[in-house]
Amino acid sequence: MNLHTLGLNHDSAPVEVREKLAFSPSSVPIALSSFAQSFPSSETVILSTCNRVEIYATSLDDSLSKDTLLDFFSAFHGLPKEEFADHMYHHQGINAVRHLFFVASSLNSGVLGETQIISQVKEAYQTATTAETTGSILNQLFQRSLTVAKDVHTKTAIGKGNISVSTVAVDLAIKIFKDFSEKTMFIIGAGEMCELVLKHLVERGAKTAIVANRNFDKAKSLAEEYEGKAINYEKLDEYLPQADIIISSTASPRHVVNVEHIKNAIKARRGNPMLLIDIAFPRDIDPEISKIDNVYLYDINDLNKVANSNAEERKKDIDKCVTIIDKEVAQYMAWVEELKIGPAISQLRNHFHEIGEQELERLRPKLGDIANDEWEHIVHSMQRTLNKILHKPAKVGKEKAKNGGGFQYVETIKHLFGIQHKKEDSRK
Amino acid sequence: MFSPIQFVFIAAIVLYLLDSIWEVGSIFNPNRFSKRLADYFIIAGLSIHCAFLIIVSAQSGTLPISTLFESSTFYLSLIVLLSVILKFLYRLQSLTPFVMPIVTGFSIAAVTLVKNDLALTANLKTFWLFAHIIPIFLGYASFTVSFIFSIMYLTMERQLKKKSFGPLFDSLPSLETLDALMWKTITLGFPLLTIGLVSGTVWAKTTNILGLLWYLDPKVLLGSLTWLIYAAILHLRLGASFHGTRVAIVTIVGFVIVIFTFIGPFLMGHKHGYDTGSVILEQEIIAPEAPGMIKVES
Repeated sequence: MNLHTLGLNHDSAPVEVREKLAFSPSSVPIALSSFAQSFPSSETVILSTCNRVEIYATSLDDSLSKDTLLDFFSAFHGLPKEEFADHMYHHQGINAVRHLFFVASSLNSGVLGETQIISQVKEAYQTATTAETTGSILNQLFQRSLTVAKDVHTKTAIGKGNISVSTVAVDLAIKIFKDFSEKTMFIIGAGEMCELVLKHLVERGAKTAIVANRNFDKAKSLAEEYEGKAINYEKLDEYLPQADIIISSTASPRHVVNVEHIKNAIKARRGNPMLLIDIAFPRDIDPEISKIDNVYLYDINDLNKVANSNAEERKKDIDKCVTIIDKEVAQYMAWVEELKIGPAISQLRNHFHEIGEQELERLRPKLGDIANDEWEHIVHSMQRTLNKILHKPAKVGKEKAKNGGGFQYVETIKHLFGIQHKKEDSRK
Repeated sequence: MFSPIQFVFIAAIVLYLLDSIWEVGSIFNPNRFSKRLADYFIIAGLSIHCAFLIIVSAQSGTLPISTLFESSTFYLSLIVLLSVILKFLYRLQSLTPFVMPIVTGFSIAAVTLVKNDLALTANLKTFWLFAHIIPIFLGYASFTVSFIFSIMYLTMERQLKKKSFGPLFDSLPSLETLDALMWKTITLGFPLLTIGLVSGTVWAKTTNILGLLWYLDPKVLLGSLTWLIYAAILHLRLGASFHGTRVAIVTIVGFVIVIFTFIGPFLMGHKHGYDTGSVILEQEIIAPEAPGMIKVES
């Protein structure tokens, strides 16, 4: 099949090269229409994200190749080919189909199982349909790629379980508290990680936050950002009983929260559960605290362990994903072949009947004076013979197209009878 | 071996068994065991179960509690009913995987182990029977479901404390949710149990069905013990720092007493109004009902 993809991603190229070749959202339509001008009978989609830049193109003629696509990149970005050609990969035909399905299903992503890529592929496709640079081949290809991606995500564990420390912390919080709207977050220290966890919790509905930091101004600025309350570091004890979720990340060499603190707090809370997340190293919260009833303590090691085991779980399902993808690739190829088999068979039929007519023309003068009826018989007999010969190949061709393998079949038939050759001649 | 009517119940058990397999399977392998199919199994099973109870009631003309077998199936149907209501009310996917294997196990035990020769001897058509049995059974069913919530709570608690997160971890709701549901089902069961005990007491005193020393009937004593335990749970949880884990453990103790109250006296040979032999013959002799008395007592 005449489908090409040329591109680079986080694996094949350093960020400097990716930056140079990236298309901004506004330049994608321009690139698409300029491509359409250079290759009038083509279909194109451009996928440009921070991790990858890829062009998918197919054409009715043979004008597309790796070189013509490289030329396009070079001309559009005004860069000499040598600067980026080595970082680019090129796939053709079934491999290009497979590549897109891998990309859409996030098997090609830096973070396995991420779902952002699905919307990025969708967007790239929509941009191309708006620019009217897609046709039946790419429409079908991209629509199917989105279905495949959805399938892969629902039928496998590729996107299950969070794999970053901050989201894992939120996962744990969800398993302890029903919702966060009535809960109080208590932030000790004001590290970046603390803020990230807090941000995720706020996204999940958390409303009240208390921030304690040695540097009161810093505490105040973080508190203001989340409409929380900044308190003096010395007043820690006083406010702890209010805290449902404590997130700590200070640079303190000693424990900031000790067993007595929490024992008192839990008493004051009448046993209402507390979740403590210690992101600091060395640790801020005395690990002995986890022995207290209704208190749940997780440190950075625990969170990392969960994140890593989730990542491992995702990897385990790669084979399953590949199986799904390969099945879909085969189905898409079968669709393409079915698309082709009709014209191929009528080509074959025309070819045979042309030969038949030529032979009849040659025969007519040799027969001399015969009745019109007799001539009609001869013509019919010829047509019947040809149709009988053609019946089987056409039938098998349609079957092959349905079950895969039609592509090779068509190629073989064309090769056998020199049809491709003739068609190109006629175009010239 | 089985009477024809029992086969109806066995059909329900088969569906409950299939449901249990699908419910538990959907936790570990959601692709293979669809939750939707599990829903069909449980609804079909419960419908047949109810049909069974209706036939039994129609035949005897009273609640399906004339024999221990009947009352066991009645009790089990209430558990399934309550679980299904809670499942759809709170969108709880993880309750039925815990409930159904237990219900299936109890159902099989009811069919195979319970001997069918004990029958209720009291007048079966009095107001007091309904006033006593329905609240008590509903109360038992709520306590059973709250027991299941406490098992879920402890499972979750353990995983959170031990930091080992299995497939159950993903499908169970939060501790807070489980705690709330545990609490809700206890507070639903407690008043029902209270009503049932009070009406039972009145019934026993007014009609003498348990004899003069009705308060020494083991079932009465155990029922009171159950009441005390749940009263203690309510008291502690409302008053002191008594949350989560401890409530869960005491709830489990409470449930053990419930089950013991339910079948224990039978195992030990005490009858609580049941006896071998014909129901019809004895009911007039033992429990002549004075219609006027009900009004006076109530």
